Amino acid sequence: MQRDLGSLPLAPALRARLVGAGFSTAQELLEVGPCELSKEIGISNEEALETLQVIRQECDSDAARMGGDPTSLRTCTALELLEQEQAQGFVVTFCSVLDDILGGGVQLTKITEICGAPGVGKTQLCMQLAVDVQIPECFGGLAGEAVYIDTEGSFMVERVADIATACVQHCQLIAEAHQEEDHHKALETFSLESILSHIYYFRCHDYTELLAQIYLLPDFLSEHSKVRLVAVDGIAFPFRHDFEDLSLRTRLLNGLAQQLISIANDHKLAVILTNQMTTRIGQSQSTLVPALGESWGHAATIRLILHWDNNQRLATLYKSPSQKESTVPYCITPHGFRDVQPPPPSQTPEGSEMNPRKRPRIEEDKQ
Amino acid sequence: MLFGNMASKKLRRAGLAQELCERLSRHQINTCHDFLCVSFLELMKVTGQSYQNVQKLLCKVSRACAPKMQTAYDLKMKRAVNPFSAFLSTTLDSLDKTLHGGVACGSLTEVTGPPGCGKTQFCIMMSVLATLPTSLGGLDGAVIYIDTESAFSAERLVQIAEHRLPNYFVTEEKLVSMTRSIHLYRELTCESVLKRIESLEEEIISKKVKLVIIDSVASVVRKEFDTKLQGNLTERSNFLAREASMLKYLAEEFSIPVLGRKLIFLHFLYKDCGATGV
Repeated sequence: MQRDLGSLPLAPALRARLVGAGFSTAQELLEVGPCELSKEIGISNEEALETLQVIRQECDSDAARMGGDPTSLRTCTALELLEQEQAQGFVVTFCSVLDDILGGGVQLTKITEICGAPGVGKTQLCMQLAVDVQIPECFGGLAGEAVYIDTEGSFMVERVADIATACVQHCQLIAEAHQEEDHHKALETFSLESILSHIYYFRCHDYTELLAQIYLLPDFLSEHSKVRLVAVDGIAFPFRHDFEDLSLRTRLLNGLAQQLISIANDHKLAVILTNQMTTRIGQSQSTLVPALGESWGHAATIRLILHWDNNQRLATLYKSPSQKESTVPYCITPHGFRDVQPPPPSQTPEGSEMNPRKRPRIEEDKQ
Repeated sequence: MLFGNMASKKLRRAGLAQELCERLSRHQINTCHDFLCVSFLELMKVTGQSYQNVQKLLCKVSRACAPKMQTAYDLKMKRAVNPFSAFLSTTLDSLDKTLHGGVACGSLTEVTGPPGCGKTQFCIMMSVLATLPTSLGGLDGAVIYIDTESAFSAERLVQIAEHRLPNYFVTEEKLVSMTRSIHLYRELTCESVLKRIESLEEEIISKKVKLVIIDSVASVVRKEFDTKLQGNLTERSNFLAREASMLKYLAEEFSIPVLGRKLIFLHFLYKDCGATGV
């Protein structure tokens, strides 16, 4: 084991002592016993034992990696990845055109950033997704749970209840149309109550609380292994005031992004972040761009921008590694995120699935 | 200073050993906030601990200041225990319907519009409604009204009360008790508004306040920050954001509605403020 001492996770003072005593690789250390080590560098027996254990642990995991143990392996072939991606499914948005441009919905193991002006529907989309991720598998959902981290205090539980009720109704209609046994079985447990009790809500008042929460998230997710969606609404608010040191901000934000990426990968879940918009003043005209600066633009894998065009809400897929850039209209009804036009009567058996989507429009027209 | 801030919690109270705290404070790391802002390698250097131990420390500190988990169901049940506490009805049916029941308690509502369209009137009416007993759809509490434009008129307040609820305000006594529970503060500078908001926490408890109104957020800000001067935009957006985050904290902590009134113009300007957010 020719690993250099500098690469081991030891306390700096201890490392200095070891180097001072002439040790340079892990192998050399493993050759000595704890008592010998304690005498040689002047630390207690317990400390010496602890040090040796750390080194042994590190070397073992190194060996495992060399040996090709798949659990500790982070590399895989594109074919394996393809199979994984096809198996894992998406979180649908209930707006079919939006799902289409996203390639089926919000992707698991990826970070999706939703940007938009105030009131355009960022929080609505987050709440919709927190409900949709829980749709039972037999209805094409993920049967997951959701973590909702709220930094702005805009989470309205009454609104989530509306969306959840509409979602349950939608599934009931499908079940009635198909009369399949597993549908009815799934519906027994899929209720407003169960949806609400599987949305884990955290309210972070400032960025320190947000940082702390993200540190603790892996532990929480190991305890709640069914979580398939982490929504951070919004990432920008705590970072947009009281920040004199912009380089600190960039560092903290990048750290957050990195942690979220590894959470998304390790736990096979989708991460959604919402971001505010800011005005960039150019030479002759000013444009609205997502906040937090240029470098933040690299943090999210998929970037979706919500905006207005007169009275029409539009969603633009701005950045995606797999999908074409495009713009689609959507609307927000009392039932949540929906398509603008009721889809044309389709010939496929899926037609019955479309019906519930029409309902909100019809009801709205009556008003 | 932000109050109600778990981030300013001293490291010692987060359960770190005294010796370690002293060591950290020599490097100006005193609070959870400082601790979490330092990079990992730096922490290893400062504490002299190994990678695993620093990770444990980070978890400990994080746990000390991370928010508590609630499920949406818990939130809903909390609201359901007292259905009157979730929303303050505006008594205007169609408006209530669009607002899902009225002005939401525990959050911030902004009323905006061109001059003379009735923003102050709305604020005055809401303050009357908040003082009503819960049986009449009110909040049965006091109101804090921060007036930055000297637009509040007590006469108009009484007028509105008498005309809107002629059956309730039949005696002078009721009117007196209603007017007595509306606490008016005239604050004419940004600094004094901010100071007032900082001191609200104690007053909300002592006066049993159920509604906070700021009329208006924009006027003082527009008076004091000339946007043409360099750097003013940043300062202004900092001021507004600080104000907003304090009000949000108060609203949630006490589950009361806060009404901020801004001019519609500010709304556009406010967007422009973002330009400095690099």
